[in-house]
Amino acid sequence: MRDAIALAEHVLAMTSGQALVRVVAERSLSLRFARSAPTQSTSVEDLDVEVVVLRDGHAGLATTNRIDDDGLRAAARRAEEAAAIAAAHASGAGPYPAPAPGAVIEGLAGWDGRTAELDPSDGGAEVEAAIVEAGTHGLEAFGIWSAGEVTHAIASTEGARLVDRVTDSYMKVICRDDEARCGFASSTDMRLATVDGAALARVASEKVTPATAIDLPPGRYTAVLDADAVGELLAFAGTLAFNGLAHAEGRGALSGRLGEEVASTKVTITDDPRAAGTLPRTFDADGVAKRAIPLIERGIARGVVHDLRSAAVAGDGAGSTGHAVAPGGSPEGPETTNLVLAPGDAEDVAALCAPIERGIYVTRFWYTNTVRERDAVVTSMTRDGTFLIENGRITRPIRDVRITDSLLRLLTDVEALGAGQRLIGHGEFYGRRFAHGVLCPPIRVGGLRVTGGA
Amino acid sequence: MTVPDPALLALLRDRIDAAPRGCAYAEARFVGRTFERIRVRNGETDAIDTGTSEGIGVRVRADGRWGFAATREITAEAIEDALDRALHVARTGPVASRGASELAPGPELPARGHWASPCELDPFAVSVEDKLSLLLEADALLRADPRIRRGGGETHAMRETWALVTTDGAACTQIRTECGGGLQVLAADGDVVQTRSYPAAHGGDVALAGWEHVLALNLVAEAPRVRDEALELLAAPPCPSGRHTVILGGEQLALQVHESIGHALELDRILLEEAAYAGASWVAAGDLGALRYGSEHLTVTADATLPGALGSAAWDDEGVPGGRTTLIEDGVLRATLSDRTSAGQLGLPASTACCRAEGFARQPIVRMTNVSIEPGAAGSLDDLIAATEHGLLLETNRSWSIDDRRLHFQFGCETAREIRDGKLGRLYRDPSYAGVTPTFWGGLDAVCSAPAWRVWGVMNCGKGEPGQMLPVGHGTAPARFRDVEVGVA
Repeated sequence: MRDAIALAEHVLAMTSGQALVRVVAERSLSLRFARSAPTQSTSVEDLDVEVVVLRDGHAGLATTNRIDDDGLRAAARRAEEAAAIAAAHASGAGPYPAPAPGAVIEGLAGWDGRTAELDPSDGGAEVEAAIVEAGTHGLEAFGIWSAGEVTHAIASTEGARLVDRVTDSYMKVICRDDEARCGFASSTDMRLATVDGAALARVASEKVTPATAIDLPPGRYTAVLDADAVGELLAFAGTLAFNGLAHAEGRGALSGRLGEEVASTKVTITDDPRAAGTLPRTFDADGVAKRAIPLIERGIARGVVHDLRSAAVAGDGAGSTGHAVAPGGSPEGPETTNLVLAPGDAEDVAALCAPIERGIYVTRFWYTNTVRERDAVVTSMTRDGTFLIENGRITRPIRDVRITDSLLRLLTDVEALGAGQRLIGHGEFYGRRFAHGVLCPPIRVGGLRVTGGA
Repeated sequence: MTVPDPALLALLRDRIDAAPRGCAYAEARFVGRTFERIRVRNGETDAIDTGTSEGIGVRVRADGRWGFAATREITAEAIEDALDRALHVARTGPVASRGASELAPGPELPARGHWASPCELDPFAVSVEDKLSLLLEADALLRADPRIRRGGGETHAMRETWALVTTDGAACTQIRTECGGGLQVLAADGDVVQTRSYPAAHGGDVALAGWEHVLALNLVAEAPRVRDEALELLAAPPCPSGRHTVILGGEQLALQVHESIGHALELDRILLEEAAYAGASWVAAGDLGALRYGSEHLTVTADATLPGALGSAAWDDEGVPGGRTTLIEDGVLRATLSDRTSAGQLGLPASTACCRAEGFARQPIVRMTNVSIEPGAAGSLDDLIAATEHGLLLETNRSWSIDDRRLHFQFGCETAREIRDGKLGRLYRDPSYAGVTPTFWGGLDAVCSAPAWRVWGVMNCGKGEPGQMLPVGHGTAPARFRDVEVGVA
């Protein structure tokens, strides 16, 4: 493969007028296992060349993975034609400003050489360790080990020459008994050296108790949400509350509420690409440098994230905060990539449970989806370890329950946060690998609304 | 839309013939894609995105384990390298202590030949200008009221060229053309924000067809109705909660079938192979022929031969010919969706040709083709409403969620219309309903007749790690369910 930035510059030379070229090259390896045996092993080597051409503020985007000159020239031509057509059909100048001013950046803060080797034997050893550990508890192991190296390179007519090489590793283990009782543990990091299959299996297996699960009736419950559950909900808050395009269109949960108290004073949320423990990222898909953005400070709504396009729609002095996920801006708007929920002072999950007379402990949520965007109401199912809390202690397993609640209301009812944060990421990458996660502690929240059970 | 270059098949054949080196099975699959997405928003072009991709995915089975590697380079050397990587990763990690099962037998006659999906008007031959003009005309009609915060529409076109060679002797090619589109409008009044979509939410309706499918949607003619319904929703009261008789419109019923029947009957899920991500199933392998899935009005098929349906193909990604399988007959479970791996694990004589992958860089897994509820005898939607004393008509999906065993679901719709004494009444906003799969389908007491039946395209069916997004089809006619929990959200 050609050097990514050289390739981006090569394509840029094929365009005319204002343009930006992004090259995203992926090498990845994923090893899946189920019922304590390997199932699917996948090795991917691929890249995308994305060409954005601007005409009077209107963008045309073309993508290809053909990097012979014919393929690249065709992509450049398609982008130019698209931009010209968009401009010709417009009533005036379009919303897309010029690419970010030129800069030369090479980001390596998110890269680990050992991880980039993508040695299958590393993954095989962790998978085997997880299976062996689960077996010592009489359980079957399910999950995935995955690692990847992704290079982002941007060249623009405004002089940008940007390269960000990043690595990531992810492993999850679900331990399951014959009665379908499950426990879960996961690990996300830029270094695969931190992945410990046996340790994950140990944590997961501890959640598989022999007791019969009970049904929990609908109602409101004080709940302790482990970090995986918190990360899932905050990722949705990124879309419903912090998306600058939704905010500008008046459908965002924080539309008209910046400066107001929207959460407990215990809650501080930022999007920080350099927070210790996150997956560092240097710039976004528009080539805008990423930086820490305060979103909620001690309960007060402070901001939303923007890409160049959403900032132009918002007007009123808004600028990109470095959250474009596609060159030229995604039609769905910008996204948070490095959410951080500041920790509290509770020592651990047990300490969070201690004051609860009767409540629930949730390991993680599954199939979360939006019910009402403006109110940030979502619905979700618990999965892989849901328990009753009685008299301050986790006691019995509960059959999985459905929750339907407003994320902002939950943030208002945060009673306590753990002192330790974990990075909650996901191994399921649709399209090009794009590792990101939420750095967060477990929390105790009042009045979680349970609306049904499985 | 020409037949793929024979040299491509020869290249794949040469490499796969040289593959054995301990492989029990190997396949090489070329996928080339061209796509175009045009989107307008508030009178302006929001996106004109085009793209191409091509590459080869190589899958091998060695020592009872699967390995897969993908390369974007179409050369003998790149395929050779992918074969090596696939073998290497297949042999990584522990060997299953319970031993590996054999693959279910492939077809008696290896897959050979070429197939192309129907396409009357090549969507890539229609100019971008013409597509934009159509969308902008509809968009202008959508926004003819100050309470419309955002109007817009989109079209989608994709052509996929596919070639498969296997060590079982398959050597075949396919070309699939997808096309479709839709409208969406966002209306707001104070804190009330409502969305109305046509003909379906989440990007409109897409079919295995050409531009003729978009023309048949009559986007411009439908735009004023879509706008007016969004405005009417602003003044509508929230949908009342309680247990109600519900009629689901065809689009919402398509997603209901998708989530609570299609996914639940994927055999890899039933056998726990997907338990770590997509999940398992409330259905057990021993339930075939015995489990009552729903009422006697419920008959469901998987049919990869449906003309124009997004899940149709002549062969799946293992070279097994697409066919029609009855999954549920008069409410009783008869079959599942399987590939050769899962069918082999159960000792079935053949798969149901449901092995599919997204593009070239993903491993084929068990996927839906076109999972449809067969038409009933309830006549038209008007007939069904007239035969309903009291209830709600729910239309157009707004949200969806279901647990990892596909048992407990909750859906939101854009609109609910009261039904009283066989007539439609007032409009309600923000309807939602929830249920438990066999109980819900047990409450099915009427399905509209064949003239009301049509196929809907679902573009965003996600499964697998790394994730795969595949298009599938669902044939439905409006249907009535008794005693449904409404208004939980």
